[in-house]
Amino acid sequence: MTSAVTIPRHGGTGGRTAVAARARQVVKAYGAGETRVVALDHVDVDIARGQFTAIMGPSGSGKSTLMHCLAGLDTVTSGQIHLDDTEITGLKDKKLTKLRRDRIGFIFQAFNLLPTLNALENITLPMDIAGRKPDKEWLRRVVETVGLADRLKHRPTQLSGGQQQRVAVARALAARPEIIFGDEPTGNLDSRAGAEVLGFLRRSVDELGQTIVMVTHDPVAASYADRVLYLADGRIVDEMFKPTADTVLDRMKDFDARGRTS
Amino acid sequence: MTVMKTSMRNFFAHKGRMALSAVAVLLSVAFVCGTLVFTDTMNTTFDKLFAATSSDVTVSAKGASDTGATTSDNGRPPVMPASVVGKVRAAAGVKAAEGTVFSTSVTVVNAGKDSMSPSSGAPTIVGSWNSNDARTMKITSGAAPGNSGQIMVDADTADKHHLKLGDELAVISAVGTHTAKISGIADFTVTNPGAAIFYLDTRTAQQALVGQTGVFTNVNVTAAAGVTDPQLKKNVTAELGSAYKVQTAKETADANQKDVESFLSVMKYAMLGFAGIAFLVGIFLIINTFSMLVAQRTREIGLMRAVGSSRGQVNRSVLVEALLLGVVGSVLGVGAGVGIAVGLMKLMGSMGMHLSTSDLTVAWTTPVIGLILGVVVTVLAAYLPARRAGRVSPMAALRDAGAPADARAGRIRALVGLVLTGAGGYSLYLASATEKAKEGSAWLGLGIVLSLIGFVVIGPLLAGAVVRVLGAVLLRMFGPVGRMAERNALRNPRRTGATGAALMIGLALVACLSVVGSSMVASASDQLDKTVGTDFIIQSDSGQRITPQAVKAVKDVPGLARVTEYRTTTADYTTPDGETLKDTDITAADPTYATDLRTKTVAGDLKDAYLPDSMSVHDKFAKAHGIRLGSKIAVKFKDGRTAHLTVRAITSSDGLIDAGSKYTNITTLAKYVPAAKMPLDDLVFATAKDGRQDAAYTALKSALHDYPQYTVRDQTDYKQALKDQIGQLLNLIYGLLALAIIVAVLGVVNTLALSVVERTREIGLMRAIGLSRRQLRRMIRMESVVIALFGALLGLGLGMGWGATAQKLLALQGLKVLEIPWPTIIGVFVGSAFVGLFAALIPAFRAGRMNVLNAIATD
Repeated sequence: MTSAVTIPRHGGTGGRTAVAARARQVVKAYGAGETRVVALDHVDVDIARGQFTAIMGPSGSGKSTLMHCLAGLDTVTSGQIHLDDTEITGLKDKKLTKLRRDRIGFIFQAFNLLPTLNALENITLPMDIAGRKPDKEWLRRVVETVGLADRLKHRPTQLSGGQQQRVAVARALAARPEIIFGDEPTGNLDSRAGAEVLGFLRRSVDELGQTIVMVTHDPVAASYADRVLYLADGRIVDEMFKPTADTVLDRMKDFDARGRTS
Repeated sequence: MTVMKTSMRNFFAHKGRMALSAVAVLLSVAFVCGTLVFTDTMNTTFDKLFAATSSDVTVSAKGASDTGATTSDNGRPPVMPASVVGKVRAAAGVKAAEGTVFSTSVTVVNAGKDSMSPSSGAPTIVGSWNSNDARTMKITSGAAPGNSGQIMVDADTADKHHLKLGDELAVISAVGTHTAKISGIADFTVTNPGAAIFYLDTRTAQQALVGQTGVFTNVNVTAAAGVTDPQLKKNVTAELGSAYKVQTAKETADANQKDVESFLSVMKYAMLGFAGIAFLVGIFLIINTFSMLVAQRTREIGLMRAVGSSRGQVNRSVLVEALLLGVVGSVLGVGAGVGIAVGLMKLMGSMGMHLSTSDLTVAWTTPVIGLILGVVVTVLAAYLPARRAGRVSPMAALRDAGAPADARAGRIRALVGLVLTGAGGYSLYLASATEKAKEGSAWLGLGIVLSLIGFVVIGPLLAGAVVRVLGAVLLRMFGPVGRMAERNALRNPRRTGATGAALMIGLALVACLSVVGSSMVASASDQLDKTVGTDFIIQSDSGQRITPQAVKAVKDVPGLARVTEYRTTTADYTTPDGETLKDTDITAADPTYATDLRTKTVAGDLKDAYLPDSMSVHDKFAKAHGIRLGSKIAVKFKDGRTAHLTVRAITSSDGLIDAGSKYTNITTLAKYVPAAKMPLDDLVFATAKDGRQDAAYTALKSALHDYPQYTVRDQTDYKQALKDQIGQLLNLIYGLLALAIIVAVLGVVNTLALSVVERTREIGLMRAIGLSRRQLRRMIRMESVVIALFGALLGLGLGMGWGATAQKLLALQGLKVLEIPWPTIIGVFVGSAFVGLFAALIPAFRAGRMNVLNAIATD
């Protein structure tokens, strides 16, 4: 099973398609000949708009590569990726940069913030770079949602790890991107701070209608998502809707066992 | 051993990051070695030349200098009668003796009246063709001069001026002008560094150079087999008595060599001084490199400490890396130094000074000095960062390193810096306020050193303030990119400070010298305007005196109200206080000189100094020797009798022009010095009748057309010439300072390049969230510009302070006007911005090329 395509539905989001991003027959390979390694093997995937999607899989399964390709950070060997109606495969660096700046938000595992800028400046950085004025009302709402109102003038070094990730979430939300990609955004946090950040992400989907794709290997983190995609050896091997930590864990144990017996 | 191994590995792992430091070491060492090799080579060349051209024993007239130079104030070489040759031949051990005539007080022009003299400052020599010269020269075409219509020229000069057989040349001396056609061209068999040499037959040389036959300037004596030079000298001296100067080949060569060496050593030490400045600048670069490498490696060092490395070991491992860097840089530098020397020789060649690479002299001390200097400086510079590395705690291994913490400049640093700067400022103040020149220069020197060190120490603190101001003025208009550039320049003030300080040093010197230079020009112009009452100044730019024929040509020009002759000589003074002053200068001029130069007097009327048997002295001289108006001074003129002159005016010792001259009338000089020994004019001043200046200027120029060695200038042109002269000197110095500035620019490149490496993740993050390549490159360029402007601002400020102080001090010597050359200063400031842009080219390009994913993934 190498496909996780949902039937396109037209939702109520201003005439836009219900699919925020889609990948078709995406191959990502490194090297050539004997040493050729295939990280993504003809992957088809649709990311539903307004949903929280988690991508899971063991190390080396290609989950990060898939996210990087969907986000326009990495190039594909073959296949197509569309962000809404825009095909991003084949775009030149200039256009890709603009696309990332205007339509995508990022939350990385660590080192999300520029040490020279304070929290507020970090939050508005993508808009500053684009030369756009942030929407004041929206910004206030985002800052309040992530609970940083009294920390805006602090430099990253003066914030705790959890606070830093919340700033990163706020930055990703502030520009109202079409889609936010998170690369193990809670990987460096303890469970309480992690839960806080995941809670914000969940709320931004529910209350703000945000589309989020998150790579993780933590079943608890995955349980915040609407849908979980499982990757193994560069292919999508399974998917699960409305996951809970237990069901995710069970499914993973299942894969592990299958991996051992086969 | 482990220390060595980790050092080696680190060194090679980071060789890219070390490259620019190595280049800095390389450049400095290369400049030192290049200077040494070049001056040694020049010495070798002249050694060979003098050894080859000196005959076993040379006899010359009493008045000749030890070098056998044949110049004198009256433009005719000192001579001896031909009978001396016969006497020398009679001496024991003499194989041969030949009389020769030479003069360097000559100018040779071609048919188009263009001077054949070398532009390099090397002499023009005209002499009789003799067997001694035949030893070192080979006639390559034509034949030696055989009659009065023939002249032979050296091949280099012939080449340079496209002279061929049959061309007409004119020899202009104090005696007159002699015309002849080229009969032959002779080439040196040794390297001739650039003198233009012409040969006549002996009789013609006597007539053309001395104005009489039967006289020689030198007798070249050849020793018989088995007779040593000192023995021969003894024998010849015994025959001639003490009436003539007798020198062995070695003595002549040594005297010549001494002349050259004194010039060469000035050049050598000046160039080594500039190399020293480059080294100083290089130190900043090395300190920065190692500081950044240590900072980037903090975790690694922490791990080393955690697993049991001692502080000393960590410390040493950094120093060993510095040692490796020093060795690599120095070895390459020594090699490059030889290249620089060859380049300098080629450059000299293009200016008419021919040096042969076969004479290239690399003394064993040169590479040794280069290596030691390079290695010691590098290791010393790395000492501070090494100590900092030693202090890294084992805990650093466990901490999340990320970007190194913003090293807050400590309070002690601020205090020390302020104290030093304050002390420097106070010294400078003392220098500007003092009345004693000697004391003042000591204060000035101290002030410069202290303020420089002070600025270096508080550089990091100033960086904060200056960068913020620059940021507010320049960067804000570039929006968030500008803001980030400003923050980046500010995040490590010590680094920015050191990088800027390196640039500061070179630019401070540029600013200081340009202030002093333009103040000189302004002061001189100012004084010219105030005191000079004549229209035209005639002089030789090569320092030759003006022949009577040329003076007559000037006097014959129509439309002139007056012509003033001006000549200097020396005399032994016996002053009223009973002191005897040997070889003291005295100026003899026409009385109209008192009108041509309105020198201020403190007592008496300057015009009276031109009365018969009268003179003037300047204030300081009068005070030192108890001279008052009416005092009598016994003046024994050189080559003349003793006169008892009455002091009738005392002039002010202040001023730039002719300050400190003691004047008397030319007719007074003529009374005591025989006509044959009368010195020629140094300068001639001409003043046009009212309203006829332009016509007179043209007429003067055409009157002097036949004498290309002399230039006539009106006041405007004179000022321009003065300006050009100082400008040339400044350009030469700027050229040498360029080395230090290049090293400083490498420092900016280095800092940026290492910063970019250090900020790999940050750059990746910014690229990921949408910073375009152009914006990224612009950010790095702006950071670079800000650092460069910071250095420029500090340097120019400091340098202008030094320059203004120097002017205040030199005001005692007549440098009354302070002129800040704003165009230069602003030009340098704006230029620094471009230097910053240039320095950022490669770092920005590399940052832009970074793969976003790799940048994010970098640990």
